[in-house]
Amino acid sequence: MKAGRVALLLAAAAVLELFVGRSPYRAFLPVDWFLLVTAMVARSGDFVRAVVTGAIAGTLEDALSQPLIGMNAFAKAMLGYALTIVSVRVVFGGAFAVGAALFVASIANEAIVALLAALLAQSPVVILTRGALWRAAATGIAGGALESAWNFPWRDWWQRRRLRRLR
Amino acid sequence: MRPPNTRVEIAAVNPRRGGAVLVTILVACVLVLSAQAPARGGRGSVLQSWFLSLSAPVAAGVGGVSHGVSGTIANTVGLFDARAENERLRRELDARERELFRLRAEAAQSAEDRRLLGAGSALPGVVGSVPILLLEHRAGAQSVLIGAGSAEGVAPGSPLAVPAGLVGRVVTVGRGISRAQLLLDASAAAGARIARTGELGVVRGDGHGALVLNNIATTSSVARGDLVESAGIDGIYPRGVPIGRVESVARGSKLFLEVRVTPSADFSRLTDVLLLAPSPATKEGAEAGRSASR
Repeated sequence: MKAGRVALLLAAAAVLELFVGRSPYRAFLPVDWFLLVTAMVARSGDFVRAVVTGAIAGTLEDALSQPLIGMNAFAKAMLGYALTIVSVRVVFGGAFAVGAALFVASIANEAIVALLAALLAQSPVVILTRGALWRAAATGIAGGALESAWNFPWRDWWQRRRLRRLR
Repeated sequence: MRPPNTRVEIAAVNPRRGGAVLVTILVACVLVLSAQAPARGGRGSVLQSWFLSLSAPVAAGVGGVSHGVSGTIANTVGLFDARAENERLRRELDARERELFRLRAEAAQSAEDRRLLGAGSALPGVVGSVPILLLEHRAGAQSVLIGAGSAEGVAPGSPLAVPAGLVGRVVTVGRGISRAQLLLDASAAAGARIARTGELGVVRGDGHGALVLNNIATTSSVARGDLVESAGIDGIYPRGVPIGRVESVARGSKLFLEVRVTPSADFSRLTDVLLLAPSPATKEGAEAGRSASR
């Protein structure tokens, strides 16, 4: 994936995060957009880009919402590497598999941030909250939906539709 | 997930190179985390204050559009319901809605401000109403980004509230936006008082969306439904602002009861909050910090 496209995806994630955050319906759509971008870059199999993208995405997220800058950057850089390994070494596909991988990644993100917050800010360790699970589920569902949309044969579908109309 | 396509270069797929970059970034993160010194005047970390100031215009812009779109969605739903009653009115409103998109968002915002300020007149030292741009729950940390900063007179430590009760306090101030810690945050605490019995304790967030009232002796007569309000003993929050109601009382340790409190404010529906004046103790602390850093 080209650097320009990665930058565009990161900008889109930041805009979506703020857009959804300002909306009164935010509780229904707590998707981790920055994790989705990291996963999309990791999917291309480029370790360096995935790690760097994860670090930048995490830094943006930290700047907006965390007391210490670097916690999400740390977590997402690790997850970028791990997701690239999964993408390159483990041969599996489909929306469900991608959704499940993102669900696990989101929980892992939560756990790493909780651990860092406990170590650096002496915060109590809070990981498996209802909010965290819902966020992981929403991220998994969004990732699965994107994967389905990505693999859907849109051109064939459009041509079949046109043919049906002509008949 | 699909296998990497053949165009991906060998170097790019090399996990060793990726590993080296990962280690470098992780070390950099640790250095950045450990280097985050407190800013002048207790404004949170310098780095975060800069980030907040830089992202203020974008956040405010996107927040405004989001608020406008949300307002439009709500209005459209209302119009749809009223369609059967008054088709002519709906058509008129639809036609003008596009023209007045921005004006309506602003009007909605100012109406919300007026409502909040009117309802919050019972609260002490209300400075004004500020919009919430982002609400984040992550690993027990519950924070919000508010659309006002030092330019609007926001100071670190300023309490936030809604007419129903206390919400939290500002921790990091940027020029146009600031970050606040909610009472529900796992590391937040406030001096509290049971209104009926007058007993003092400390309310803490449990990180799961509820509050716990600590330091209430087992001899206390606290009961379910008792109002818990801020005591004004912590040097941050003013006295007498509702915090919540006692949900359950159980025997905790040998000396203290375990009192769970349901928050008065509905944290899931926060869109605008009232900014209260920081307490004199917080102001003095900030001034002392500023003079020490000179």
